[in-house]
Amino acid sequence: MTITVSGLTKRFGRKVAVSNLSFQVAPGVVTGFLGPNGSGKSTTMRCMLALDRADAGGALFDGKPYSALVKPLHEVGALLDAGYVHPGRSGRNHLRWLAASNGLPGKRVDEVLEVVGLAAVGGKRLKTYSLGMRQRLGLAGVLLGDPRTVILDEPANGLDPEGIRWIRDVLVHLASQGKTVLVSSHLLSEMALMASSLVVIGQGQLVEECTVDQFVAKFGDQWVRVKSPRVANLVEPLRGGGATVDYVGDDTVDVHHATAPEVGELAARLGVVLHELSVQTGSLEDAFLKATASVQEYQAGAL
Amino acid sequence: MINVLRSELIKLRTVRMNAVLAIVAVAFPLIITVLTATLSDLHDVNSRNLVGLVAGTSVITGMLLGVIGAVGIASEFAFGTIRPTFAATPRRSRVIVAKAIVTVAVAILVEATVVVLCFGIGAAVMNSRGGDISLSAAGSAKGGLVGVIIFAAIVSLLGYGLGLLVRSTPVAVALLLLWPLVAEGLIATVLAVARVDHPFKWLPYNAGINLGNPDGASTSESLGRVLGGLYFFAVTAVVAGVGALLTSRRDA
Repeated sequence: MTITVSGLTKRFGRKVAVSNLSFQVAPGVVTGFLGPNGSGKSTTMRCMLALDRADAGGALFDGKPYSALVKPLHEVGALLDAGYVHPGRSGRNHLRWLAASNGLPGKRVDEVLEVVGLAAVGGKRLKTYSLGMRQRLGLAGVLLGDPRTVILDEPANGLDPEGIRWIRDVLVHLASQGKTVLVSSHLLSEMALMASSLVVIGQGQLVEECTVDQFVAKFGDQWVRVKSPRVANLVEPLRGGGATVDYVGDDTVDVHHATAPEVGELAARLGVVLHELSVQTGSLEDAFLKATASVQEYQAGAL
Repeated sequence: MINVLRSELIKLRTVRMNAVLAIVAVAFPLIITVLTATLSDLHDVNSRNLVGLVAGTSVITGMLLGVIGAVGIASEFAFGTIRPTFAATPRRSRVIVAKAIVTVAVAILVEATVVVLCFGIGAAVMNSRGGDISLSAAGSAKGGLVGVIIFAAIVSLLGYGLGLLVRSTPVAVALLLLWPLVAEGLIATVLAVARVDHPFKWLPYNAGINLGNPDGASTSESLGRVLGGLYFFAVTAVVAGVGALLTSRRDA
């Protein structure tokens, strides 16, 4: 199932939360939905699910608006906030009403509770659940109808490291089955591990839509790491050629503004033996911060 | 639609507070009726009086069922469960109608149970003490027993409508309870000062409560059982209708 968002605009009074936003989410890969706080990610997801009324544009799921889906839990599983539960209801009963609304059998509730590791506490009231347990319950709700598309807003919130790894494995597994997976997260290191594609927004507008590798290549730094017992012999010639050289060890430097072939050829001309010559790429986090620097809604001051 | 009805019924049954309110709603009139049947002087009580007692105490049941109706929807907004609800059933009208049906159906069931239990047990206790109480002997007054069941249905719908409208549990419950207890009294006082004849006649709750009145006839001071009930229902339908319309249009 392909998700197509086109021209989505949502205003809250005078505030434009999302402005003419368009992107596509393809099946078979995990697509990360990134943006600074207040960039409109959650609003976009709510509009996609017809929970918020878009002022213009909208989202289509294989050509259909969400509101046209008769039994949406079979098509789209969504978790927007794990806190959307009645604290006096048990986890199992929360899933029971959800399942019943789409004609899913009660045994499916027990199956998904087992999958998310909550079978033993399914009868306990939700006010006793930790945030991590509620996230797992939310994911159980997503899996109820074995949907072709999964939409998750910050699913790793409140999870411990084991839980974060677990949810990453689940999402990658779902994508490997050909499902469409759209997930927002502030944990960029996690996103780098599980997402193949990215949709990055800022102040309600599209910043970039591409693969993770393309994003990092475009916005992240690239430099050449050089390790040699005679590395000092390379420093001045490199600087003379316009490169920036930083020592990261006695025999290791990072070279900016020069390519690996240029450094290698220089070393060969000078007869300098190299123990390492590698291209280093910045992290997704670095690339994200650079890409969204101009569209940060809330800028922190210096301490 | 059947799936949504089942879903809403599960929601209603799986919150402990609803069960507590339902138990109180059944127990209160039952206790009052049994105490009255046990302790009253049989010379002062006849079948018509017992109908009046049952209908009168069952009004409390109706109000508590209204609270269940208000809390049932307002808590969905308070806890955010309205979002997964509408995500699971994007056609909001189905959810709104299904919830109304479940709320009113449960109210009718509980109120009917209360009426049957109270009249049956009250009559049995009195007859065991030598009384001669029967439903057939109550004559036209027994319409009040049916009326109070309809009253409970309307009040539960009113609570539901207020919950849809204000989306806040305390505000919805306060409006539901304070309107008959305080607001209509104040309005009637103001109208009386303004020399309006029979000021309670057109106040919705006071008109609606005639549904349980053993004397159901229309008078100059009262719209009576049928007209009063219809008037109360019309006001309730407007509240619920506006609430439903806003809920279907607003962001969830």
